[in-house]
Amino acid sequence: MRRRCIIFLVFAYGIGLIACATAPVADIQPGAKPDLDTDEAGLWMYMDKAEADLKNSGRIVTDERLTNYIGDIICRLDSHQCEHMRFYIVETPDFNAAMAPNGFMQIWTGLLLRSQNEDQLAYVLGHEIGHYHRRHTLQQWRRTKNTTTGLAVFQLLTAGVGIGVAGDIAYIVGIAGLMAYSRDMEREADDIGFDLMLAAGYDPREAPKIWRNLMEEMEAAGDSMPSIFFASHPTTAERLRTLEEMAQAAVGDSPAAAPKKEPYLDMIAPFRGEWLHDELQKQDFAATQVVLNHLFAENKRPGELYFYQGELYRMRAETDDREKAVEAYQKALTQDGFPPETYRSLGLLYWKSARMDPARDAFENYLAARPDAHDAPMIEAYLKELENNEN
Amino acid sequence: MHGKLLNGNRGIKLFSRHAAVPLLSLACFSLLLAACAQTSHLKQTDAPVSIPRNAKILLMTPDIQLFELTAGGMQEPKADWTAAAKQHVRSTLAKQLASRNDVIVPYEAPADRDAEHDHLQLVKLHETVGNTILVHKYVPALNLPTKRDKMDYSLGEGVRQLKARQAADCALFIFMRDSYASAGRVAVIAAAAVLGVAVSGGVQQGFASLVDLETGNIIWFNRLVRGYGDLRTPEPASEAVTQLLAGIPL
Repeated sequence: MRRRCIIFLVFAYGIGLIACATAPVADIQPGAKPDLDTDEAGLWMYMDKAEADLKNSGRIVTDERLTNYIGDIICRLDSHQCEHMRFYIVETPDFNAAMAPNGFMQIWTGLLLRSQNEDQLAYVLGHEIGHYHRRHTLQQWRRTKNTTTGLAVFQLLTAGVGIGVAGDIAYIVGIAGLMAYSRDMEREADDIGFDLMLAAGYDPREAPKIWRNLMEEMEAAGDSMPSIFFASHPTTAERLRTLEEMAQAAVGDSPAAAPKKEPYLDMIAPFRGEWLHDELQKQDFAATQVVLNHLFAENKRPGELYFYQGELYRMRAETDDREKAVEAYQKALTQDGFPPETYRSLGLLYWKSARMDPARDAFENYLAARPDAHDAPMIEAYLKELENNEN
Repeated sequence: MHGKLLNGNRGIKLFSRHAAVPLLSLACFSLLLAACAQTSHLKQTDAPVSIPRNAKILLMTPDIQLFELTAGGMQEPKADWTAAAKQHVRSTLAKQLASRNDVIVPYEAPADRDAEHDHLQLVKLHETVGNTILVHKYVPALNLPTKRDKMDYSLGEGVRQLKARQAADCALFIFMRDSYASAGRVAVIAAAAVLGVAVSGGVQQGFASLVDLETGNIIWFNRLVRGYGDLRTPEPASEAVTQLLAGIPL
């Protein structure tokens, strides 16, 4: 009986934490800076340093054409505030973008690789701008502070009477409260992103598509959908449904303009190979296959895509993957856009399969196409060995 | 940083990664406290340098951040305290070094972006080397066999870029982090004490180094780690800087 009482009290306490009120926060005003003695100024200071570190991390894509293009999208979405925001394209092979309270946005290259047109990217950028407008970091910080204050007091109480497990339960309930708050903010940012893209003349029906593709990727990777209890964001399925309904209500089947697809794909074309290379380093082959499949559907420079398809098989190295890889490389060589590295990979696989003549041809083709390659001496050594074996 | 779009364990939650930094330094702090008894400053043994009087010292922008420790143990960054601390540290440095007729030249970031980038890489390199010294020279259990009896850390000749631009003999780098218990935290500490539980109430930590801008050698290095002090007000801040600069060959 006593134990049941304690557990009841623990739950009551946890619920008390969630209900702990935080004063409402007004939207950010263009160009406004927080007063120096506020918690918000502290967060800005901290993030100013993070921004300086990021800026000089060596992982920022600085290509002028691409950065101008993305800057223009941001200003089209939010002409009032775009001069107060900065953005950095960060070489990271995951679907993500993030907004800091002081107005800098990170856009990961994995997001650019996965967006199929400007409209999809605009939706995600609009979502991030939503976090900035609503000062979500500040809200989240205050919320977390309130909750962890409660937690520390509670841990003390339980430390005093020796109930470790009870402490754990309060912790879980408290954390769930934090996550629920975060879910609300994500929904809010979703709504703002949707409104901004619609007002800027993009096709809102593209917003749910990016989630649909992502869900496909997660399912392929075998990621179980997060449980409701720990989900820090609305589930992808829920967002997808909501966005589809919103798009239907907003434009039906007649959007203001068709999605901007060709200019977008042209813009990322010079980077696509490098970003696919980065994706493969994660060795999450099932998910990368989904990304590749979507790119194959666009049918732009398929030679490059077949090369990375071959690389996927070569790196995965499961049963029959070597044969599949050779087949993909051979296909690449018949298509537009294959990189000279196709010859190198093909040569290596021929070498491993003891097919010496084709290996030599492939290596020679590689060196002819890339005489200055950093691994040229290595390939020359292979060729020399092939020659010696012949004699 | 908030705003992760995707839930799931494949993404990285950015805010928590940044927030982990002060936590990490706290962990380092406890490691270092264990080693508190030994003498603190270190001098270059590889190629000892005597610095001429009236030397020109380039003062790199001090990397200072102050935090308030909330009742729950979170470190809240404080912009106003940090601004005050930077001011106090600068004026103390100016006073102390002026007494020796050394010339202090505050670092100025170049307008050229590439040059600025290179300078920032040097600052980052210094932070990394400084942390290495803190861990491997001050914690006996982690002493490196090849470095046991000497102090020969260097940033390399890349530092000549700094020398060339502002014509200085050496550069002084300063890194300080300070945290203070909030009223709520003090209450938690008191309550915890009654229950026999120890709860941390904030720490002052930092390190400083003097770098020869010809060779890149760290001529002198010192660290400060303690559970008291106050960078927010002039006198205690001045005292902290004096402690930090103890034994500096200037």
